[in-house]
Amino acid sequence: MKVDFSQPQRQSPIGVLIMFFDTIQQYGRALWPLVVIGIFKFDAANRLYIFLSIPLIFIVIGIIAYLKYLNFTFFLDNKNDEFVVTEGVFNKTRTTIQLQKIQQVNIKQSLLQRIIGVHALDVDTAGTNDKEVSIKAVSHELALDLKSVLLNNIRKVSENQTSETENPEIQAAISEQPFISISFLSLLKVGITSNYIRSLGLLLAFFVTTYDYAVRFSNHGIIDEDQFVNYFDKGFVMRFVGILIVLLLAAILIINVFRTIIKFFNYQIAKQSGSLLLSFGLFATKSTIIKPEKVQIISVTQNYFQKKFDILELKIKQATNGEKEARKQAIEIPGCNKNEHIAILKLLFGEMPEKGFMLKPNFRKLGFAVFLTIVVPLVVFYSVALNGAPNLLEYHYGVAVYVVFMGIIQYFSFRNNRLFINDRFIIKQSGAWDISNEIIEPHRIQAITTSQLFWHKSLNIGSITLHTAGGNVGFQLGNFEKIRNYANLWLYEMETSDSNWM
Amino acid sequence: MDSVIFRKSPIQNQIPMENFTNETIDTTQLPRFEEVPFAPLHPNYWKLTLIHLFVLFLILAAGLGFGIVFNNELIPYQWNLIVAAAVLMLLVLMFSRIAFRKKGFAFRNHDVLFRSGIIATNTIVIPYNRVQHVALHEGFISRYLGLAKIEIFTAGGSSSDIEIPGIEKIQAENIKQLLMGKIQKQL
Repeated sequence: MKVDFSQPQRQSPIGVLIMFFDTIQQYGRALWPLVVIGIFKFDAANRLYIFLSIPLIFIVIGIIAYLKYLNFTFFLDNKNDEFVVTEGVFNKTRTTIQLQKIQQVNIKQSLLQRIIGVHALDVDTAGTNDKEVSIKAVSHELALDLKSVLLNNIRKVSENQTSETENPEIQAAISEQPFISISFLSLLKVGITSNYIRSLGLLLAFFVTTYDYAVRFSNHGIIDEDQFVNYFDKGFVMRFVGILIVLLLAAILIINVFRTIIKFFNYQIAKQSGSLLLSFGLFATKSTIIKPEKVQIISVTQNYFQKKFDILELKIKQATNGEKEARKQAIEIPGCNKNEHIAILKLLFGEMPEKGFMLKPNFRKLGFAVFLTIVVPLVVFYSVALNGAPNLLEYHYGVAVYVVFMGIIQYFSFRNNRLFINDRFIIKQSGAWDISNEIIEPHRIQAITTSQLFWHKSLNIGSITLHTAGGNVGFQLGNFEKIRNYANLWLYEMETSDSNWM
Repeated sequence: MDSVIFRKSPIQNQIPMENFTNETIDTTQLPRFEEVPFAPLHPNYWKLTLIHLFVLFLILAAGLGFGIVFNNELIPYQWNLIVAAAVLMLLVLMFSRIAFRKKGFAFRNHDVLFRSGIIATNTIVIPYNRVQHVALHEGFISRYLGLAKIEIFTAGGSSSDIEIPGIEKIQAENIKQLLMGKIQKQL
């Protein structure tokens, strides 16, 4: 028996049960603090009322679930080639999806659905993290029917090839015709020169916890503070701290090197029919495919040391459908040299992106950054110190170090913050120490947001965000007139060409 | 959990050679998105906002009232608290009004624009050929006021989606039809 999907369909009647448990879960998540308070706070008489009201609550939820079931319908609009889903009891939502836009239809079954004997069907379009439509309870035949109707030219994909997987086929193809392989030496260089900020964070965290322990010990009377200070003379302490810092830095460098080598050992890149095949990893060899038409953003990162070593890091963000983890993940190619990076970019973009017209941010951007990272913390610090914690004032030198360090970082990130625009590429440069260049092509843009604070109107400065399927690229406080001109140009290009963004 | 994945191949569009021209674009002659007149939201949407705020204020006032009645320590400060609450409500009301006035939308031949923001003016532009799908949302109260909300989704994640609230139901239906027609033509 074929179901006529052009008529609004309800889910399986037994699906009311799924709705019921869903609703309980939903309200339970919102109301559990109240329930906990109710159990512990009220006396016996009130508790009795609560227990008596539980069946009532279940009845209400049951009615809501039934109404949800009644109001959830889906149908195929054959005239317009649309799939329409209507849902909601009080707040009604009608979602319309063009059949051509559907990327994936997944049939799933959770434990509860398995017990009841129904299936869930999720419809996914490109981009957005969530599944666009989820039908929670249909019979297996209906799910299969609906899927085949939704995807009239189905092509089965055995696995999601955009994510990093262990795939022997790709590995075999790579070993046949290697294109670039990253040497052990390059990986060593990467390990030594990257992740300084993270190392610094680890260092700080270590010191804070050590200090905390020391203070706690002294407070417990195990070590008397004066005794502690007297025991070590000042010079010894300084030397001790110096040695400790050197040791820690060495340890962190070694950890960085090991981490890089374990993750990226034997990094092989091969070309195959216009795509890049990658394989890497010491213990588990991971493989992945990069298709040029799926690439949204490529960022090229290099710091001063890496420049001297002639290595740089590529991060490639592809358009993915659905899977949340895959979306966040960028594919990293560490430690390729200048020529290799040019070859990869040429393969993925068709040409080497060049930096065109340069947009600089207004000096107010530096001012704002300094305000946020220096002025606000200083105000907080001194207002705390002057109102009740005067011993904090002893750390003047720490404050000075922080101000100088932050100031330098903010100055360099302001100086490096640039937007380069030419006919084919938009390149955003940013970063204080690790300078990265994010490259996008105008036709990959999905939407453009411009933004201007009202007191910046007369100054003619403002911000722009370019949304792509691989993330956003933003530039703040540039010449707003220029920004709007380029926005108009990009919109014109997006709207007059039918080029595929994925 | 068993799941089967099917995927459609992307549709490749090719421009026929004979129709292909490639002249230099005069960028100063391009249509300018910043000069587009924006349509304001329906006046009923302000009523809806007022209803929402009224409920919120009611809860706030009830909380404050209970606090003053049951907590003796607060009684000396009751007027301060009431004045503070009143000022807060006025501010919220004022900002809601500004936000309402600043919100606007426009549909051009090839794209949809939405403007919003109190301190900063944000304008988001989505070309129709980047729209993935459209949803029409009717809230419980807004249905009585004859209003609906249109949500336009792209592949660029939640920050690049447009939500236009406070459109008359019939107009919203028309806009949705227009959008779906535009999306279809693009393919």
